[in-house]
Amino acid sequence: MRILIATVKVPFVNGGAEIHAVELRQALIEAGHSAEIVAIPFKWYPPERILDQMLACRLLDLTETASVPVDRLIALKFPAYLIPHPRKVIWLLHQHRQAYDLWQHPLNDLDKYENGADVRAAIQRADTELIPLAAHVFANSRNVALRLRTSCGVEAHPLYHPPQEAGLFYHAPAEDFLYFPSRINPLKRQDLVMEALALTRTPAKVRFSAPATEPALERKCLALARENALAGRVEWLGMVSNEAKRNLYARCLGVLYPPLDEDYGYITLEAMLARKPVITCADSGGPLEFVVHHGTGIVAEPRPEALAAAIDELWENRQTAARWGEAGRQRYDELGIAWDHVVEQLLA
Amino acid sequence: MLKINWFSPLPPAHTGIAHYAMQILPILARRHAVVIWTDQDQVAPAVRRIARVAQYNPAAPPWREINDGTVSIYHLGNDPGVHAGIYCVSIGQPGIVVLHDVSLHDFFFTLAARQGKKHAGYLAALQRWYGDEGRRAGEAYCAGGIRPETMAQEYPMTREAVWNALGVVTHYRRALEELHETPTCPSAALEFPYLASRESSSEKSAARGVARPPFWLVTFGYMNRNRRLGPLLEALAGMRERDQFRLDICGQIWDEGHIRSEIERFGLNSQVNLHGFLSENQLDHKLSVADLAVNLRFPSMGEASLSQLQYWNYGLPTLVTRTGWYASLPEEAAVFVRPEHEVEDIQAHLRAFLADPDAFRAMGERGRQALKNNDPEKYVDALTRFASEVLPLAPGVPALALARKIGTDMTDWLHPVAGSYLLDRASREICRVFGGAGHECSSSD
Amino acid sequence: MRVLVVTSGVPFIKGGAEILADNLADALRAAGHAAELVCIPFKHYPPDRIPNQILACRLLDLTESCGVRIDRIIGLKFPAYLIPHPNKVIWLLHQHRSAYELWDHPIAGDLIRCPDGPVIREAVRRADREMIPEAKAVYTLSENVSRRLSRFCNISSQPLYNPPAHAKLFHNGSVEDYFFFPSRITGVKRQMLVLQAMARCRKRTVVRFAGEADNPGELAACMQAIQNFRLESRVEWLGWISEERKRELYANCLGVLFPPVDEDYGYITLEAMLSSKPVITCSDSGGPLEFVVNRETGLVADPQPESLAQAMDSLWMDRRFSAALGDAGRARYQDLGISWDHVVEKLLC
Repeated sequence: MRILIATVKVPFVNGGAEIHAVELRQALIEAGHSAEIVAIPFKWYPPERILDQMLACRLLDLTETASVPVDRLIALKFPAYLIPHPRKVIWLLHQHRQAYDLWQHPLNDLDKYENGADVRAAIQRADTELIPLAAHVFANSRNVALRLRTSCGVEAHPLYHPPQEAGLFYHAPAEDFLYFPSRINPLKRQDLVMEALALTRTPAKVRFSAPATEPALERKCLALARENALAGRVEWLGMVSNEAKRNLYARCLGVLYPPLDEDYGYITLEAMLARKPVITCADSGGPLEFVVHHGTGIVAEPRPEALAAAIDELWENRQTAARWGEAGRQRYDELGIAWDHVVEQLLA
Repeated sequence: MLKINWFSPLPPAHTGIAHYAMQILPILARRHAVVIWTDQDQVAPAVRRIARVAQYNPAAPPWREINDGTVSIYHLGNDPGVHAGIYCVSIGQPGIVVLHDVSLHDFFFTLAARQGKKHAGYLAALQRWYGDEGRRAGEAYCAGGIRPETMAQEYPMTREAVWNALGVVTHYRRALEELHETPTCPSAALEFPYLASRESSSEKSAARGVARPPFWLVTFGYMNRNRRLGPLLEALAGMRERDQFRLDICGQIWDEGHIRSEIERFGLNSQVNLHGFLSENQLDHKLSVADLAVNLRFPSMGEASLSQLQYWNYGLPTLVTRTGWYASLPEEAAVFVRPEHEVEDIQAHLRAFLADPDAFRAMGERGRQALKNNDPEKYVDALTRFASEVLPLAPGVPALALARKIGTDMTDWLHPVAGSYLLDRASREICRVFGGAGHECSSSD
Repeated sequence: MRVLVVTSGVPFIKGGAEILADNLADALRAAGHAAELVCIPFKHYPPDRIPNQILACRLLDLTESCGVRIDRIIGLKFPAYLIPHPNKVIWLLHQHRSAYELWDHPIAGDLIRCPDGPVIREAVRRADREMIPEAKAVYTLSENVSRRLSRFCNISSQPLYNPPAHAKLFHNGSVEDYFFFPSRITGVKRQMLVLQAMARCRKRTVVRFAGEADNPGELAACMQAIQNFRLESRVEWLGWISEERKRELYANCLGVLFPPVDEDYGYITLEAMLSSKPVITCSDSGGPLEFVVNRETGLVADPQPESLAQAMDSLWMDRRFSAALGDAGRARYQDLGISWDHVVEKLLC
């Protein structure tokens, strides 16, 4: 089959979504198809730009290229999934979250504009009307599917995929630190972890890796560390290589991952691959599809005290932690998260 | 010099438009490179002497060859027999559409009837331009519930023929406006071309001699229902002075039996002569000796009347209906009959004639003078000037099509709260990109 | 600087323009800039889709990203170069050619075959005329592209030559008994003309064709011609080849055939010159004529089978002559000072 993957790209930003598209393309090619990525540039502010780009997507024609039909359009992100195509499959990475679950969230900026509410209504209407026109609608997690159902009344099947280089994760005996591998961003809530550390009974240690994309949050975290005398207990590793990251996964006691309503979250899966328990929060979204409370990790309330208790629990019960890590790996294997399966579903 | 694709009925087709074409083409071909396109089986040799005649198949027009020209000029009228093929090409390739009938309802109805499919295309077009009401009227019409005149007037469907045109030409300034069919493209009203004979009018008057009774009234052409023979006969019958008039009706009558019985009923046998179709010579004689022409129409299809120009060519004063093109005729060159007071007005005019025949002769003479405006050379000038004016607007055609597509697409998904912003943004951008320097941009419609 | 290279492309088709866009982004990064490629998918048919995509481009916003300014965008292809930006420079690879010089071309003219072709052509021209001058500066791929832009749109521009990819790796080898014709198999490159010429050659000339077919029809037509002219033993049809193999084929050929219709630029000419090989091109081939000097660095034939056959025969018969032309080509390349540093400097100034 000749397959196009339609997505959007914020210039000079390369994150999980970009990797995801590349990996999907790779998987399709390995399955014997021709596949290419079409990435439409996206800028989400001021809000009316979003409308402009929705229309721009409607104006594109990906039905064929050089007189040969495009057999399938796999659309991943808003507003690229609005591009019309008779054989479109949407595999929703996410909708425009600021118009949905993040509306009126302190982290949102759409609602700070005069026309924010109008644009939000327009996005919701377009999603509601146009997403169901696809031949099939998948979501990259149950969380995303659930949001689509509540907000737009559209059903989507969750379709999980493995993290990048899944085969390379490994396990080593636990050392004295918890690992928080995520870009420093308000949605990932590094600050919540800092506040929790101030309240733990144990001298639990946390290593943070990955780059800071929000200088303000980084400053806040450093201030919290100072105020609470956490100097010896937190370590900021900055950006680390994939190899170093896998090593940290392998050696940690457990993985901390308490984001706000994450869509999916490779980190949970990577922790499971490395046989490590995961501490996440009750409002973390994606991770909750995988983390079984007191089975493969701990699901805490998103309050510093609760998170502190969870950290202590893991810190003090090394054997349980190891057992939960093993169970996590087992669960991963049971879920059958593999590209073969993804490709098969998308092209069915 | 323009490279012109000309699409019109051509002799030997029995239509005034073929005659019109033969007046215009020689002048046009002298000044421009003209290709005369036809889908007729036969074309008179005289046409081939004017310019290259190229054959096309309306089902698969040779676009490459047609697109080699600068501009296409399409002639449309109500007879699908000679206009269906032209219409096919004209909706594909935007050009200048010359409307010989402005109300094209009959054309679209008959065209759909020929295609079968229960008038689906016709009804869809009515829906497109007049909404549900239009479709319902069309269905009623198909079932025989509405008169054709009413449909032609209320649902002229002109825009269905010209929505994709670069420019529209009519032969009467208010034609489109009156029918509420103003297209999105520019339009021009040109004086219908007519080459006046060189014979001076004094020679014509001489043939008539001194004005004395009986006075000859004449009317010619295909006597359709809208030629108002009924009211004319009634008016004549109701006059004490009826013996001072004779009426020659020259041409086929749509319902001859009916008219004959009317003549009988009104006791006008000695005043009215039905001649049927006359040869050119016979007609020439009738017009030469006539004193007053009658050229009534109601309703009008917005057409210009070639016969009116012929009456004037003979210096004949004329009774016309105050409607459509006829209402635009110079007041000093014709007398007008109000559609709602036909009998009354006809009688008043005939009495005025009897009171002062010379004043009427002078009127006919002024009509003949007015024919200067109909000079075919001038017509060709105006037509090609219009073509040159609209050619730079060519990008507007796809731009407008794009605006329409966007509008339609948006109705499927755009929330009304964002509608005005996005439509405005898109239309402003479309204007900037395709409108050209200094082009006025108005917001979306 | 943060720079976006902005172009349009047909998914699954990778030709010279795509390679150039990649190379430009690489060159910008090599010069220390943050550079990324933005490629807007483009489908040129049916013609009424073209205005859609022009509008789509106009609706995009590349002025900044995550609150940080994008200092410059460099527009390459229609309609992507119409994307607005206050600091846009256009390096015009080509306009939409079938609305311009290829309008009535017997093979490449596709717009003219559609009923709405003329109005779409006018719309494309209008958009170019109105919007190209928004750019701060307009450079073009070649003199040929500049000339067209001036002739059709009355916009002045400067040609800015760029080297082919891996220019340093081209070299001269031996001279074997074949002409090399590396190009996409498509109407405007005129593989068919070469086959017709071969049928008329007095010598048993051999041609190796390399490149993928744009569409199955073109390929089938060539295969049929080979059969009809009984050229089976004189034609080698290589299809896609690696860059390395391509350089070898250049290095060891007798000469390079490159007779396209009004080509914009044509790396093939430059690659042949880098390999010290004479180029046979045609008098209507456009870009190659900026580099090929008739009877000095190659031969310029009329675009007729007879004339092309004659040119092929003359190189086939006179090997010393053809080697001399090839050497002169290499020398001429050196004189022109074609480099990426120069390109980057011009586009960012």
